[in-house]
Amino acid sequence: MSEPKSGAAKGVIGQRLPLVDARKKTTGEAVYTDDIRLPNTLVGKILRSPHAHARIKGIDTSRALALPGVAAVVTGAENRANFGVLPISKDETALAVDKVIFVGDQVAAVAAEDEEIALEALGLIQVDYEVYPAFLQPEDSLKDVADPAHKIHARTVGETNVHKQVDQHFGDVDAALKDARIVRRGHFEFGSVTHAFTEPHCVIARYDTDGKLTLWSATQVPHYVHRALVEVTGLPMHAIRVIKPMVGGAFGGKSDPFPHEMAAALLSMKSGRPVKILFDREEVFLSHHGRHPTKTDIAVALDRDGKISGLDLKVLIDGGAWGSFGVVTTYYNGVLSAGPYDVSNFRYSGKRVYTNKPPCGAMRGHGAVNSRFAFEVLLDEIAEELGEDPCELRLKNFLPEYTTTINEFRITSNGIAEGMLRAMERSGWKEKYRQLPPGRGIGAACGFYISGSALPIHWSKLPQSTVHLKIDMDGGVTVHAGTADIGQGSDTMLAQCVAQVLGLPMSRLRVYTADSDMDPVDLGSYSSRVTFMAGNAARRAAEQIRTELIEAASRLTGYPAEGFVLEDELVVYTPLPRIRMSYMEALTEALADRGALIARGSYQSPPMGGKFKGAAAGLSPTYSFQSYISEVTVDEETGFVKVEKVWAAHDCGRALNPIAVEGQVEGSIHMGLGQLLSEQFRYHDGNVLNPNLLDYKTLSAKEMPEVECILIESGDPEGPFGAKECGEGPLLPILPSVANAIHDAVGVRIRRLPVTPEDILQGIQKNRMERSDVAAKIRVA
Amino acid sequence: MRAPLSQFGVESPSSLEDALARMEASGGRLTPMAGGTDLYVYLNAGSIEPGRWIDIWGLDELRGIAEDKTHYLLGALTTYSQIRKSPVMQQALPLLVEAAATVGAVAIQNRGTLGGNIANGSPAGDSLPSLLVYDAEIDVRSVRGSRSVPFHQFYTGYRASVLAKDELIERIRIPKAAAARAGASRFIKVGTRAAQAISKVVGAFALHRGEDGKIDRCRVALGSVAPVPCRMTQVEDHLTGQTLDGELIASAVELLDEGIKPIDDIRSTARYRRFVSLRVFERFLQESRES
Ligand SMILES: Cc1cc2nc3c(=O)[nH]c(=O)nc-3n(C[C@H](O)[C@H](O)[C@H](O)COP(=O)(O)OP(=O)(O)OC[C@H]3O[C@@H](n4cnc5c(N)ncnc54)[C@H](O)[C@@H]3O)c2cc1C
Repeated sequence: MSEPKSGAAKGVIGQRLPLVDARKKTTGEAVYTDDIRLPNTLVGKILRSPHAHARIKGIDTSRALALPGVAAVVTGAENRANFGVLPISKDETALAVDKVIFVGDQVAAVAAEDEEIALEALGLIQVDYEVYPAFLQPEDSLKDVADPAHKIHARTVGETNVHKQVDQHFGDVDAALKDARIVRRGHFEFGSVTHAFTEPHCVIARYDTDGKLTLWSATQVPHYVHRALVEVTGLPMHAIRVIKPMVGGAFGGKSDPFPHEMAAALLSMKSGRPVKILFDREEVFLSHHGRHPTKTDIAVALDRDGKISGLDLKVLIDGGAWGSFGVVTTYYNGVLSAGPYDVSNFRYSGKRVYTNKPPCGAMRGHGAVNSRFAFEVLLDEIAEELGEDPCELRLKNFLPEYTTTINEFRITSNGIAEGMLRAMERSGWKEKYRQLPPGRGIGAACGFYISGSALPIHWSKLPQSTVHLKIDMDGGVTVHAGTADIGQGSDTMLAQCVAQVLGLPMSRLRVYTADSDMDPVDLGSYSSRVTFMAGNAARRAAEQIRTELIEAASRLTGYPAEGFVLEDELVVYTPLPRIRMSYMEALTEALADRGALIARGSYQSPPMGGKFKGAAAGLSPTYSFQSYISEVTVDEETGFVKVEKVWAAHDCGRALNPIAVEGQVEGSIHMGLGQLLSEQFRYHDGNVLNPNLLDYKTLSAKEMPEVECILIESGDPEGPFGAKECGEGPLLPILPSVANAIHDAVGVRIRRLPVTPEDILQGIQKNRMERSDVAAKIRVA
Repeated sequence: MRAPLSQFGVESPSSLEDALARMEASGGRLTPMAGGTDLYVYLNAGSIEPGRWIDIWGLDELRGIAEDKTHYLLGALTTYSQIRKSPVMQQALPLLVEAAATVGAVAIQNRGTLGGNIANGSPAGDSLPSLLVYDAEIDVRSVRGSRSVPFHQFYTGYRASVLAKDELIERIRIPKAAAARAGASRFIKVGTRAAQAISKVVGAFALHRGEDGKIDRCRVALGSVAPVPCRMTQVEDHLTGQTLDGELIASAVELLDEGIKPIDDIRSTARYRRFVSLRVFERFLQESRES
């Protein structure tokens, strides 16, 4: 089917549109899970482990149960069913079974008439623990465990606490390192950061007299919650309904099915009443699922032609207590590092270990952020050592468009070079690099990211996204999809795709999403897949309806269907534009004798990728590309870094809604700067010392730099209207571009994140001492 | 985890007299609550023992900025926003205004009080070094009567003060003479971010020179470098009566180096606190010398 001829100029695609739920959110009308008040709802509260690692010798809940107002108590002894987001590592249970493996692990859950009673009941539960040695450092988890009972999970590599190991080698890295013109190595350490979304986790479970379980939850993936509930409750899938109300931010932190969701379901089934569990901020921190801390060893080789000839990566990944998405994380730390460059030899060895700390999981830029940082910083060092311009060095090494990478990723549209050139021009790079006054610096870095994972985590022949449309005689268009709008604007995107194809204004669209009884299955909001996959599904569904409307117009006018287009609520015969009718006239004809127009569109990734072990990891139908330049000021007396301005070039294929894309870029920059400059879990004996937003420092509005978004529209051949992702890739280059700018400003190289003013001052002082040593030597000589 | 609210009680006194009577009657077991911006953090963290609070926020006797012949008078319930907006404060006590402007963010400034900052007694309290520089006196009151304590003698150790269990801070008095003779002054705050940050280092310096160019009054006050916010009297004495020159600056900085005992904690390192305190102080002296 051909595009509407006027598609590029007319319609809602490419316009700066407010999100469809913006008004409701800003007025407070929007309904989040905690806003839902069902009659007779009980308050659920969770008793959490005070120990990092301990055996549960016994739990006595009798006193809690005896407390007036307590309706139900559950413990792990009653439900030992395993679940987990990845079918290959289901190592979670609703409540701890036999042992606890981190401080904050769920031990028991109580449902009571009100919060006070529930809290009091928690205090009445007696748990008898035998404390085990805790594994808190990832290195300790590499070793064999003497007593098998002390292994964190039964299923690991040998007798260690290693959860997943990945080894890949393409080409001959040793030879590349040997023959290189220059090799740079580095050891990098990355702290533990979390999403810090606004809305704390919240769930309501209602098991009704019909034997049906309904769960409202702040989740990114209703479908995975649905699957996990089947495993934990034993109910058939069709007896469970999962609904995602409005979600106040997630960033990957709500993409697993969670134990508290399971606990709410069990409490409701036991009490026969609805149960709501709302976390406080400390509980949000303890359930975590944030970015995996890593220790990253890297070597980069450049050959005599100035081409990147070798990348050697070795990463130790601290997974915390559960598997979560960790197998994917282990792959992503390697496979998403080489691109956006054409690297001719690549080796990766990654190990993810369990530790007795809050579990890590997926977080914006999943798996790619830390390796990207190390690689981009070393490229800067190589350029410095060779006296070359780091942007020019990158330009010489970018992957071209329409190619295949050494690890057999299929690359299609690619606007990275254009982005680099535009960022250089807009920032005045050539006049600034190495020429700014002391304390002021400029730095560059690049990135790329998947636009949806080409292979779903559950093997299935079902499409990855399906969208249903319905138009009845009122002329409104109802969109049904399983997609989860978590604030990123996917409902708006669906409405735009449909409105564009049908030539309608946004006001005719109504979008209903993320209700498993009403909407077709979608694999949810993660891996930056929704615009590409669900957007395509929406477009395809709309195209069928467009055909029906055009056929109706053709019947009414007697002109051939091929010449008609839909635009501005009109159906127009383009060869003779005066032959036209309103959208409503065509619709009325299309509905005659049949009733509502119904259509279904779906998306499934085309086959791609290599045949080797792990070849599927990181495959995507297309990739986004970024080129950033950042300018900073560093206060040499306090070590404070102020990021002055960022020129952020991002190839999103096509900006379906530029303000939504810019919002994603700016939000990514804010989040990335937090990881670089100030965010970090602090631990003492497995206890999180700063589980609150005063002591865990996300950056405030005052630190936010000016951002100039440079949107590169490379036009992806398979993306909806040419679009690809913009939610995660834009985070990657901000950290290394600022780190490289800090070096340009004060000569300090960064090896450990977050980099604090303390570290920067120490770096400056060390440089001064070395310089005065050199000066002294020169004087002596 | 949050403490269950049912284990807390709140009393609402009708007047200052009533409040003091209730505090006495309770045997000193009532915790005063002013803006609640410290207490609620403790409550939420579960780090506070269940008990009874007395809400003094409604006691207008403790509110407002005034002056008499000799002193500026700030009621204990004076908020940071009130300090920032007061033309008298802006003109007379610029260090305090600057400090107030760096506390938390606007919502906290609207609710947090000077009395609360003093009674809470964190060595990182942002208003405290400025109060030291201005020779503040703290008026405290109980049913037993009123007394006035020079602020530099108020604290007796880490988060410990001379305030008795049945006493309230009534007002803060700042001698006009001290304010008038503050001279060149500098407030510093270094936190982890530009807003909503507890200080790694906080300090206030003031230096006044007589006709002859010699320093005749000098105050050096720092927070976060000792268990209590404190004045560095050896440094002050060393500078007083002298003329600023390179040698004097170097020796003053050296004395400050000896006088402070910063610690490592979750917010920063001892080494960093020391370095920044010394550098900022040195820069202040150098700039004063040049002006
Ligand atoms: C988000 C946030 C940011 C913050 N940022 C800063 C900051 O940047 N700098 C800073 O210094 N502080 C900061 N604070 C701490 C707090 O806001 C200040 O210490 C504030 O001045 C406390 O005043 P309050 O009236 O709210 O005290 P409350 O919480 O009401 O009381 C604090 C303590 O003082 C006692 N008390 C209060 N009034 C009296 C009185 N009249 N007599 C006797 N005892 C009394 C109370 O019993 C309690 O022990 C921050 C707090 C929050 C929550």
